[in-house]
Amino acid sequence: MSPLDDLKTAIKSRLGELDCVIGWEQGYDQLHATPLFIRSEADLDRLVIGPLAVHNLATYLPGLRGKKVGIIVKGCDSRSVIQLLNENLITRDDLVVFGLCCSGVVSHRKIRAALPVDPGFVEAVDLSTDTLSITASGQTTILHMADIAADKCQICQYPNALIADVLVGSPQESKVLTTLACQEEFEAKSEAEKFAFWQETMSRCIRCYACRNACPMCVCRDFCISTSRDPLWLGQENTPGENMMFQLIHVSHLTGRCTECGECERACPVDIPLLLLRRYMNKQVQDVFEHRAGTALEQTPPLLTFKVEEEGIKERGW
Amino acid sequence: MSPQNIRELRIVGFLCNWCSYGGADTAGVGRFVQPTDLRIIRVPCSGRIDPLFIVRAFMNGADGVLVSGCHPRDCHYAEGNFYARRRLEMLKRFLPITGIDNRRFEYTWVSASEGQRWQHVVTEFTRGIHTLGPAPSFNPVSETEWNKLAVQASEGQGCPCHG
Amino acid sequence: MKYITKKNLLRLTEELSSVYRVLAPVAQGGTVTFRRFHPGMTLDMHSRMAAVSAKMATLPQTESLLLVQRVEENKKPELTETLPQGKTLVMGARPCDARGKLLLDPVFITEKIRDQHFIHRRENSIFITLACDQPETTCFCHSVGSGPADTAGSDILLTLVGEGYVAQAISDQGQEIVTHSFFEDAQDRGQQAQAKHGHALELMGQAHDYSSAPAKILERFDDMDFWEVQSAKCISCGACTYMCPTCYCFNITDNDLGLTSQRIRTWDNCMSHTFTLEASGHNPRPTKAHRLKNRVGHKFSYYPDLYGGIMACCGCGRCIKQCPTGVDIRQIVNAAQEYAQ
Repeated sequence: MSPLDDLKTAIKSRLGELDCVIGWEQGYDQLHATPLFIRSEADLDRLVIGPLAVHNLATYLPGLRGKKVGIIVKGCDSRSVIQLLNENLITRDDLVVFGLCCSGVVSHRKIRAALPVDPGFVEAVDLSTDTLSITASGQTTILHMADIAADKCQICQYPNALIADVLVGSPQESKVLTTLACQEEFEAKSEAEKFAFWQETMSRCIRCYACRNACPMCVCRDFCISTSRDPLWLGQENTPGENMMFQLIHVSHLTGRCTECGECERACPVDIPLLLLRRYMNKQVQDVFEHRAGTALEQTPPLLTFKVEEEGIKERGW
Repeated sequence: MSPQNIRELRIVGFLCNWCSYGGADTAGVGRFVQPTDLRIIRVPCSGRIDPLFIVRAFMNGADGVLVSGCHPRDCHYAEGNFYARRRLEMLKRFLPITGIDNRRFEYTWVSASEGQRWQHVVTEFTRGIHTLGPAPSFNPVSETEWNKLAVQASEGQGCPCHG
Repeated sequence: MKYITKKNLLRLTEELSSVYRVLAPVAQGGTVTFRRFHPGMTLDMHSRMAAVSAKMATLPQTESLLLVQRVEENKKPELTETLPQGKTLVMGARPCDARGKLLLDPVFITEKIRDQHFIHRRENSIFITLACDQPETTCFCHSVGSGPADTAGSDILLTLVGEGYVAQAISDQGQEIVTHSFFEDAQDRGQQAQAKHGHALELMGQAHDYSSAPAKILERFDDMDFWEVQSAKCISCGACTYMCPTCYCFNITDNDLGLTSQRIRTWDNCMSHTFTLEASGHNPRPTKAHRLKNRVGHKFSYYPDLYGGIMACCGCGRCIKQCPTGVDIRQIVNAAQEYAQ
């Protein structure tokens, strides 16, 4: 039996006790998946998994608190579930986790860049283990999964769900690479270059808050400080400065909590490389506190605790 | 006019009421000469300082931000500055990726009796900020700057992976 | 019919940018957005439809309405109304962008209300539109009374033929532009353009009939179970509304900047909790289901009921394509239309 069949069987046996199980189905074309809320066995037929099932469904969990739900998670998504549990934002007893052993998901941005024509009009998609063949506007292109895998998958250390009531598929190896060349290249730029980059990039931000709402750790939802008028943290005007300010609010509130699932960057309708900021912050957290959010149950986020003597912090002597 | 007879810059200081604010007072009472660029905001504890206060100050045009609280183990509320230390350290380490020079932000500890230390910290920090000069504005201020950004955008400079 | 080569179109745009504030599609960082065009830049007309619509030409995301300046402490502050200045030209809009612009008219220009800022921008903007060669999977303009070569709202309609464009002047202002020496006679290219229009429409397939939508959506108005199921995967962000050519809700804010303050108008977003949050704390649309109902209902029921049956949707599909979770407005309207008790 394929992992998908195993998964369907597992879900079928638990569906009766659950409000719904969150998974994926095919979206508006064969290239795009979309979240699926499985409420009946008929819905279950539409379930898909695999490299096109990109969404981190843990984002929905805090909003479903109080209901008994099932969720399908990839390795990276499972970190978000763990982090939410660690922060008491969801209840373990109300949750059934169907874990996947994931071999990576695609980046739609990379697919667009790799195709000779825009994949706006997709006619056919054919998936194999290592390749993705796309027919768009009459042209067929075969892409190698390694070239179009999401950045996070190229350095994935947790391909298998870290928390699962049911684990399907055969466990995958974590990647050898731990840092991305493009991240390092960006970090090596001068301060003036980085400043100009963000000025320019933030001038195309429309502040739709897709990054915030797609983020599984942004749990304030309707009560985000960026929409509060009193105190006024953020002006309504759409200027690069205010747009950047919002990103800094987001990153600041994710310090030590970000599980690097990349939903913010994926959700961005104007493709702003938001993970450049998140990955850098996570690296600092790792350096100072040796903490990686969502990798173990019972972790305390580093900013919610302290040590009297901080080994990782070297203060400036005056 | 600052006693150093140069153009003042905008430096914001967040000072804990119980130690550093007192330390600054001690320095004043002791008539220790200090640069006057610093605009002090008194807060009940360094633990009250959201790192976003500092970010907001930079985005609103501050050229430098200084945070000063009680020495660790000396917090009026027992542990406020322990939390503050973690938050402020993370901010200081984070700033470089945004292109904001992290030498524009410092945090330190000054007790109420350390007038001289306060004088030293303020003088050193202000000198550092003057060396760096005024901070660039995140919002392009002139049409020319906007044009520069637009051309830069069309040339796709910037992120190596995003073209 | 006139014809202009790609090279000459760029030169024309450069020339026009000295007279107009030109907004043109610019590809950068994997996305295409309308940007202020300056000589030296390139046009990215074809790579893909701009992620954000050209709505900002007539309804910018931030519009300054009023400046307040207090010169002296004891004197009354001075108020200055800030009206938009200059003319705007949108190069490379799509027919849906141009049609979207028209759908805002009955809202901002009525017998009682004449929105000066909107009217100024509306009267001082020119749309040079590019007919679509082929639709995207998410396109459904032909189902809402438009099409890949719709001329409504455009001043000039360009159609790619060979290494240039067939230019069809629609308005007097467009007519004036095509008299420029960069344009030559289209000759038989005019027919080729016509053929392309027909082909593009054919690719779109059968149009969906939305005529029953206004009544059917209204029937579901109190059925919150229906809307909860439809909105389950919505994450309540504002991507759909901000990219939409026809979403026009706005917010007015007084920005207090010390001695000067500014009154600004900014895009609002009905997916946001604060959209209808009242001062008392009560919110008539407390959940994302209520809010999505409003967005879909407004476009396919309330607006057509008010303005002669026209849908407040131009079928560009941006809200589907760029939704982080793939919420499909077509499916929701269909579900309401096909709903059986």
